[in-house]
Amino acid sequence: MHASPPSPPEGRALQGRALRRRMPAGGGRAPGRLGPAVAAAAAVLAAWQLLALSGAAAPGLLPSPAQTLAALADSAGSGTLATDLGASLARAGQGFALGAVVGGALGFATGYLPLLSAAVTPVVSFLRPIPAIALVPLATAWFGIGETAKRLLIAYAVLLAVWLYVHDGVSRVPVTHLRAARSLGAPLHRRFTEVLLPAAAPALLAALRYGASVALLALVAAELGGAQSGLAYRLQVDGQFLRVDRMFAGLIVLGLLGVAVDLVLAGIGRRFVHREAS
Amino acid sequence: MSRAVRLEGLAVDYGRTSRRAAVPVLDRTDLEFPAGSFTALLGPSGCGKSTLLGAVAGFVRPAAGRVAVGGTQVCGPGPDRGMVFQQYALFPWRTARGNVEFALKRFGLPRTERRRRALAALAEVGLADGVERYPAQLSGGMQQRVALARALAAEPDVLLLDEPFGALDALTRTRMQELLRRLWQRTGTTVLFVTHDIDEALALAERVVVLGGTPGRVLGDHAVPEGPADPALRARIAGHLGTG
Ligand SMILES: Nc1ncnc2c1ncn2[C@@H]1O[C@H](COP(=O)(O)OP(=O)(O)O)[C@@H](O)[C@H]1O
Ligand SMILES: [Mg+2]
Repeated sequence: MHASPPSPPEGRALQGRALRRRMPAGGGRAPGRLGPAVAAAAAVLAAWQLLALSGAAAPGLLPSPAQTLAALADSAGSGTLATDLGASLARAGQGFALGAVVGGALGFATGYLPLLSAAVTPVVSFLRPIPAIALVPLATAWFGIGETAKRLLIAYAVLLAVWLYVHDGVSRVPVTHLRAARSLGAPLHRRFTEVLLPAAAPALLAALRYGASVALLALVAAELGGAQSGLAYRLQVDGQFLRVDRMFAGLIVLGLLGVAVDLVLAGIGRRFVHREAS
Repeated sequence: MSRAVRLEGLAVDYGRTSRRAAVPVLDRTDLEFPAGSFTALLGPSGCGKSTLLGAVAGFVRPAAGRVAVGGTQVCGPGPDRGMVFQQYALFPWRTARGNVEFALKRFGLPRTERRRRALAALAEVGLADGVERYPAQLSGGMQQRVALARALAAEPDVLLLDEPFGALDALTRTRMQELLRRLWQRTGTTVLFVTHDIDEALALAERVVVLGGTPGRVLGDHAVPEGPADPALRARIAGHLGTG
């Protein structure tokens, strides 16, 4: 039985970051974080290069970093990269926006109203473990192989993820905050914008970051279910022709896309989310 | 302005569900707190002090009876009754000034006037320096100063305090008690002060109501005369506390 949803893992990550921020900054934070990352990336690249040179893999199955870069430049030059990136971003972006808005609103509603939560939580707990990829055939049967099916599939997956995090964050807002606001004469709209929203903002940010990663997962599932363009569609085509260099390039683009989206959301969060500086 | 608070046969239950009967927490209670009076509600932990205060604040719905403030029945929280909690009450995402301005917003003042009043309110509680700090950057005593300033900024008729100094060290607590007495004398607000500390009750209040038992009820009601501490009164109140 899924009596209660699992506690969001991201929450712990946020706490970890808050802890780090409390420590005195010895010589700046950015180099401290970037240094190990650069070193690790260099090590991975070197190992990859060595492995490719060693001839351990069958010919053509393990491209070197240089060959991968060439494949990337090739698809960038021919315009397929831009087309695929544009198609994927549009799908993931629109699906994410729809899912985040609906899931966020649902999360605020169920987090604030225990009665509604008691009604909705069992339904969501049942739906959540079903992977988005398992819904591709159903989405195709209902909405065809067009863009609607893909966007709705992504939106659905994002909705469930965002709902869970936002619900959790809102239901943890101390009742004292809301009571204090009422005793200070704040009407409902002020209690929402000036108490519930800022109190749940860290959870909201975690929800959006997690939702964005879920959007990428669902995007790949949706495109593998049939598409004319897109990053995952291209991976499938390249796979049929055993173009491992292109597949490597495509996977790297997917990875970079995920990192870029997360950085943007984290940046927005730093601007708008108050973290306790205790 | 200040107003009288009346509890008329007030009783509170908790935990009523479709399967389980409610547990009585506060027995039928009749009490009157005159306008401008300062009363301490004294009792051991778990006897229903917070519940009683919550009923006056409008957070807790009575199972029977009613609470009236200035003759009007309480049916929910409102800015005529200010509340100071033991902890977690300040908004951590707002500075000290921001917290007080939150309370002032209901007056619809221009921004500069709101700011001016918030700074004046913080200066009055002795926090002129820390106004731009967040609660987490303030000591417990300073946080309760802000909480007092915030509650009074909304200009309540009744000020409700639920063990507000319970977490403070002895010296800070004495200073806060002096501050509260001063603020009460200036504003003339009706004060209900919950504590489990007999000496705090005697140091602060004009009247000490002793609560105890399960469900909670009034065990004693004592006027505290002005002037030096009266050991006989303290012994009588301690006796009532023991009967709970
Ligand atoms: N929300 C609640 N639900 C159920 N029982 C409660 C609730 N709040 C308090 N109680 C119970 O009511 C009794 C009185 O609590 P409270 O008013 O907080 O006492 P006090 O403030 O004097 O310590 C306690 O036994 C407590 O466990
Ligand atoms: Mg209590």
